[in-house]
Amino acid sequence: MICQNCKKKEATTHIKRVINGEATESHLCQSCASTLGVGNFFDDFSLNLPDIFSGFFGDSAFALGESRLDRCEKCGCCFDDIIKSGSVGCADCYEKFYRKLLPSVQRIHGKAGHAGKVPVKNTKKPEVKEKTMEEKIADLNKEMEKAVSEQNFERAAIIRDEIKKMKGEN
Amino acid sequence: MAWYNTTGNESGIVLSTRVRLARNSEDYPFPARLDAGDREKVCEIVREALSDYTDEKLTYRKMSELEPYEAVSLAEKHLISPGFAYETQGRALVLSENEEVSIMLCEEDHIRIQVVLPGLALTEAWEKADKIDSVIEKKINYAFREHLGYLTQCPTNLGTGMRASVMLHLPALTGKGAMRRLSTTVAKLGLTLRGSFTDGSEGAGNIYQLSNQVTLGISEEAALQNLSSIAMQIVAQEKQARALLVKDEDFIDKIYRSWGVLRSAYKLSSRELTNLVSYVTVGACEGIIDVPSDKLIGAVIELQPATLNVSQGEKLTENQRDILRAQKVRELLG
Ligand SMILES: [Zn+2]
Ligand SMILES: [Zn+2]
Repeated sequence: MICQNCKKKEATTHIKRVINGEATESHLCQSCASTLGVGNFFDDFSLNLPDIFSGFFGDSAFALGESRLDRCEKCGCCFDDIIKSGSVGCADCYEKFYRKLLPSVQRIHGKAGHAGKVPVKNTKKPEVKEKTMEEKIADLNKEMEKAVSEQNFERAAIIRDEIKKMKGEN
Repeated sequence: MAWYNTTGNESGIVLSTRVRLARNSEDYPFPARLDAGDREKVCEIVREALSDYTDEKLTYRKMSELEPYEAVSLAEKHLISPGFAYETQGRALVLSENEEVSIMLCEEDHIRIQVVLPGLALTEAWEKADKIDSVIEKKINYAFREHLGYLTQCPTNLGTGMRASVMLHLPALTGKGAMRRLSTTVAKLGLTLRGSFTDGSEGAGNIYQLSNQVTLGISEEAALQNLSSIAMQIVAQEKQARALLVKDEDFIDKIYRSWGVLRSAYKLSSRELTNLVSYVTVGACEGIIDVPSDKLIGAVIELQPATLNVSQGEKLTENQRDILRAQKVRELLG
């Protein structure tokens, strides 16, 4: 049997899981299986084929090797490590890789923010969360539109370049 | 009393309730990125924080100091995860005397608070877990962000970090072949239904676990309410199905045969016991036969392979265990 991911090598890892009564089977070659972190992916989370590839970490699973230099300062983890292990490295990783993690988080949980218990320490001292890159870009877009509507094209161009720079860097 | 030795609400259908909270310290990377030494440090800090919890006596044990079969027994009783029993370095378990509270340290997250109660008791289990959490919180700087809630090693637990579940015994719905449809239905409602006591096959002993899937964007109370109302609907369906089933003479025959095997077998495997007890329990709950079904359900848990070793204080062979198991069941049914 041929690997369902690379469609080249012989499949050696066969995963069968019954989740919510639906049996799903995946056949992977050894290198794809280890690259995708199959086996230790998510113990109590559904693992079926669409989920492995376009599921939890989305298309980023195909971008392995893209960002090994971009590491979390606290735990030393890069985004590849997170995809491969299925584990986020530390609390700071959630800020560092927020933009990359967000689509996956929303796919499981939806778009709403936390609605449950809050530690007392946090209620006393509400933290100011640093805006995400997406939010910053959205803000800049609004500002640019405003500049255009005011016919301040010079300023709009500066903001446009700023947005380009931010997108390019990340 | 441990949950499997007491009678709860809806006994015979809702066997137990579990609430688990995942928590992490802001000050350390998550367990997968810690070496055994640092994991031990985290364990010690939490141990220290828990000394302020005085509602009941808690014992603290390093997992690496347990005999392997002792660790597996804890997993058989659903007090720890199977992985926690096998990978023991830098991990510790905090357990209350009656086994209602079990706290895994440095499992997938730094702290996993678990409360298990008999029957359907979601609110009580949550309140207890919440209380323990609030005690720990005073000493530990929790990893928390306003938008994402409690930060967890696996993003599937973000938000409340709460996984609540009820263990359901559904022989009639299983017999009717309704489980598949039911699973699909509850999945649409943000819940998961899966076989419990599984070694790959689904629903051994007709026992299933119904749990919440979504943890972010929903409050603990709302998630519990949702779970509770779906559980009650499933219980009602199971009752309806049982009412029909007990008029079926082939099924009655199955109940009596199961009872007969339990009373007279010389050897019983854990799996066989689980399946037989399932039918006998239905017979007892429907008033067809008179057996102590609560004790039998307790026996299913306590006569699992490693747990049997622990109670005997030695490692028995499979054959010895099967003989001993059958003997204990015969004694129980007098
Ligand atoms: Zn492959
Ligand atoms: Zn990190």
